[in-house]
Amino acid sequence: MRISKGGLLVIMAFLAPLIVELRTVLSWIGIRLSAGGTVALGGALVLAVLIWALWPPNGDTEAKLA
Amino acid sequence: MAMRNAYIDQFPKEARVIRAILWSSFLALTIGGTLGLIQGLHRTNILRFIPSQDYYTVLTAHGVLLVITFTIFFLVGIFTWAVTTSLDRGVEDIRFTWGWYIMMVIGTILVGVSILGGVVEQIPMNADVLFTFYSPLQAHPAFYIGLVLFVVGSWLAGVDWFRMWWAWKKENPDERIPLPTFMALTTMLFWYLSSLGVAISILAFLLPWSLGIIDSVNPLLTRTLFWFFGHPVVYFWLMPAYMLWYTMLPKISGGKLFSDPLARVVFVLFLILSTPVGIHHQYLDPGIAEGFKFIAMTNTMFLLLPSLLTAFTVVASMEHGARQRGGDGYLSWLKALPWRDPVFTGMALAGLMFAAGGFSGMINAGLNINYLVHNSWWVVGHFHLTVGTAVALTFMAASYWFMPQLTGKELWNRSVALVQVVLWFIGMTFMSNAMHRAGLFGMPRRTAEPQYQGFNFEPAVGTVGEINAQVALGAVLLTISVYLFIVNMVLTTVGGSSSDAIPDNTYAGTLSGPEDSPVILDNLKLWTSIAVVLVIIAYSLPLASIIDAGGLFGPGIDAWKPSVVADPTLVLESIRGVMF
Repeated sequence: MRISKGGLLVIMAFLAPLIVELRTVLSWIGIRLSAGGTVALGGALVLAVLIWALWPPNGDTEAKLA
Repeated sequence: MAMRNAYIDQFPKEARVIRAILWSSFLALTIGGTLGLIQGLHRTNILRFIPSQDYYTVLTAHGVLLVITFTIFFLVGIFTWAVTTSLDRGVEDIRFTWGWYIMMVIGTILVGVSILGGVVEQIPMNADVLFTFYSPLQAHPAFYIGLVLFVVGSWLAGVDWFRMWWAWKKENPDERIPLPTFMALTTMLFWYLSSLGVAISILAFLLPWSLGIIDSVNPLLTRTLFWFFGHPVVYFWLMPAYMLWYTMLPKISGGKLFSDPLARVVFVLFLILSTPVGIHHQYLDPGIAEGFKFIAMTNTMFLLLPSLLTAFTVVASMEHGARQRGGDGYLSWLKALPWRDPVFTGMALAGLMFAAGGFSGMINAGLNINYLVHNSWWVVGHFHLTVGTAVALTFMAASYWFMPQLTGKELWNRSVALVQVVLWFIGMTFMSNAMHRAGLFGMPRRTAEPQYQGFNFEPAVGTVGEINAQVALGAVLLTISVYLFIVNMVLTTVGGSSSDAIPDNTYAGTLSGPEDSPVILDNLKLWTSIAVVLVIIAYSLPLASIIDAGGLFGPGIDAWKPSVVADPTLVLESIRGVMF
């Protein structure tokens, strides 16, 4: 893992306001995102963060950032 | 084996009373939090299993239990810890400490039972007056008597801390006041000053009116006296959270507090500026001249200064801690912070959400832009970020450190604790965002059924249905978070055995200590005098004007006594009275 499990949990938490507010921000520039589209975008972001965090595995990081 | 030096080892008697105080606080949190879920689901029309008129009983209980009982019980417990720990001495008389605690408990029971009367027919009382309990809504006398007992109990808690400080000062005449004690005392001083408003409101007007001793009250006067206390009480909740950010976060981050003098300046500013701001809650009250409102707005904006100073000092302290732990770079040091520690993560997330709450608070405080959001769901979103997260989440996170200190037992489950604080952050993100947005298109607060016939709210983005779903989702996550917290606290207290692994009872050291700050900062008499003068300047003319226009006891109004079931005979009588 690139980061600790605790760190990953906190990054996931930070995604919540980002995704929720992104929809409002996008509307300012004329991009209307549906509720389903927002959920899909959120899911994609969560997946991207998970892939980044879990790949490539690095056992030392967990201990170093604990 | 090294000898354990937890709080319970240093102050066993005090630990016992603080444990009782914290449990009173947690009980209020559990009940109040559950009622919040009922409200959230009812208002959004997702699940309605109570009659809509009972919504206001639930709303009153939710407000009073969370913003009065949960917060104030917790803070008197934590300030007792702060003063005893930093002065390194026990309370002067433990019976006195138990005395004010029991007084607060009796007050809570009276208030709770009178509110419960709104839904239980066997209880001949009613107090559906909401947390903002000014007239023309009228409660049963027991509600007001309970509030008086609770507030007087908190005053006596302050006396307890002052007694300790005076005794310590005799033995240490040349010493600076230790920072945690300084914070508790300055907070208590503005609480004495500001709660005088609500004391006068209850004892001189609302209670005699409820007892039938006087026929009427001046609604604007009781509103103004309520807000005289109603805004400073926000800082009464917030200052213990600030104290924990100043004294615990730097230590848990692995470092020291950046500046003790700056922390003292912040608390002095809150002492002198907290009270003369209440009229900013009354921008739409017609009986107060615009000029007085402008003064309140100016005072309120000045209060941004200590909060911004706090943001700087606390973040600088966290950065220092992270660099001590090997962090480097402009922002990479953030990775070195102890994110796996629920105490740290909870407080850090609470601080982050407080920044968002501060920005929406600036909108509330602006005299002109307030008109856009006044009495709307925006305001509810705002205070769920401030008291509902900055304060509540900090208190819950801090409990993960305090409960082991008070019981001598290790925390039941740190992973559950971490999930709990993160869940609160996510739940509040969904809920408060939706509430703010709903307020912007005019959806009102304090209503069971905002789905009016023949009228549609028009959100700028998305639909009302999505906003409701977001609120309900947030409410569910927050409730789960409360239960996870309580389970952890219960199992920490009743389960497990005494552990030697409990850390020492200490608080953060300082990079720049009290020796770097002017001695005048510790002159509590001076700052209190300035606070009193500012209150006189801000309030004397508005109060004189209100009394001059509406009389001390009002021009004569009839109280509206909310009842659970409308009596058809009374309704007919009222109609007859109006028509004939």
